[in-house]
Amino acid sequence: MSTSVQPAAAGQVGGRGPTGLADVIDTILDRGLVIDAYVRVSLVGIEILTIDARVVVASVDTYLRFAEAANRLDMTQSEKGLPDVIERAKGVPSQDKTKEVVQGVVEAAGDTLRELTEPKRDPAAAAAEPEAEVTVEREPKAAPRRKPRPKREEE
Amino acid sequence: MPKQATRRSQNIGTYVYGIVLANAKVTSDERGLGDPAGKVKLVKHGDIAALVSDVNVEEPLGRPGDFFAHEGLLDAMAAKGPVLPFRFGAVLASADAVVDELLAPHEDDFLAALDELKGQAEYVIKGRYVEQAVLTEILAESPEAAGLREAIRGRSEDATRNERIRLGEIITASIEAKRDLDTRLLLDALTGHYVQGVIREPTHEQDAVHVALLAKSSDQKALEKAVRDFGERWEGRVTMRLLGPMAPYDFVTAQA
Repeated sequence: MSTSVQPAAAGQVGGRGPTGLADVIDTILDRGLVIDAYVRVSLVGIEILTIDARVVVASVDTYLRFAEAANRLDMTQSEKGLPDVIERAKGVPSQDKTKEVVQGVVEAAGDTLRELTEPKRDPAAAAAEPEAEVTVEREPKAAPRRKPRPKREEE
Repeated sequence: MPKQATRRSQNIGTYVYGIVLANAKVTSDERGLGDPAGKVKLVKHGDIAALVSDVNVEEPLGRPGDFFAHEGLLDAMAAKGPVLPFRFGAVLASADAVVDELLAPHEDDFLAALDELKGQAEYVIKGRYVEQAVLTEILAESPEAAGLREAIRGRSEDATRNERIRLGEIITASIEAKRDLDTRLLLDALTGHYVQGVIREPTHEQDAVHVALLAKSSDQKALEKAVRDFGERWEGRVTMRLLGPMAPYDFVTAQA
């Protein structure tokens, strides 16, 4: 429950440091320079790895799990004043609103499903692309910005 | 040119981990990926070199040990000098191909990038909300969420499905909003301790922060202290981890 800063230099120099497999996969499957498919030799076994499985998508399952966690929450440890808040806020959403919400959720889940089941891009088509360029581009020296998730096309 | 004339089998490829300066030292205890572990070598061209090892392209690659070997080698090199890390799975036909197709055509770009990265390394900060703490916050902040919680209390999941979905939706949205705010707060607090920052996508629904920072290696102690100090403000609310020094995976991008 506490804050643990894993001292950087302790583990990683010259070996595998304190990072677990998830941390490593996060980093090396998704980031770093890429050799274009045109020059690259295909390698057995890599295609089985799907980044998509780790993408955080809000689903009905997630909602239900969070709701149950909130239900089980031990409020005796909660901040003072919360019962007042709850008292003031008693009541459930109107029927229409609930219906609307549920529809929205179902639509969102459908989108997610489509994303996950979308056929992967044909590797042959990717390989046929004429460019064999590997160019290096540094991030601009600017304030931190949100980086779009890299497309997985070159896989 | 590297000596690869003895390569007989067509099944052996040259796995590329990354690009380093030609004068980089690979210590003999560095082990590559594959089983048995490949011997890590430098394929040099002018002032730059590729970190490589032989790999059998007919053997599946992607065991946990392969991932650890890839990142372990690059991070170890990053602790000693500049590295341009490649994404996992880059294999060329031979050491000659590494020179002809990779190093020679991009020598200037690679050299400039290595020069720019000198004395810097990547650090990743991951923070995860403590579920009980963040749920308590959200229930206190959202009257609707608190009301819904009361509505589902002691009632079956089937009977309160709509309320539960709405409550979960509020919690998810609230966590996203908190994540955006907390990420900004953290980056503000660390200003001056890093050169560039990239906000990574969350990899867990309870992620509080997930950022990669490019920082001067000489400032590492100060960065560690700043992260620790900031983490103390979130004691009991967010569990924080600082990883590094790592190769600058988030600060090199390839344009195909």
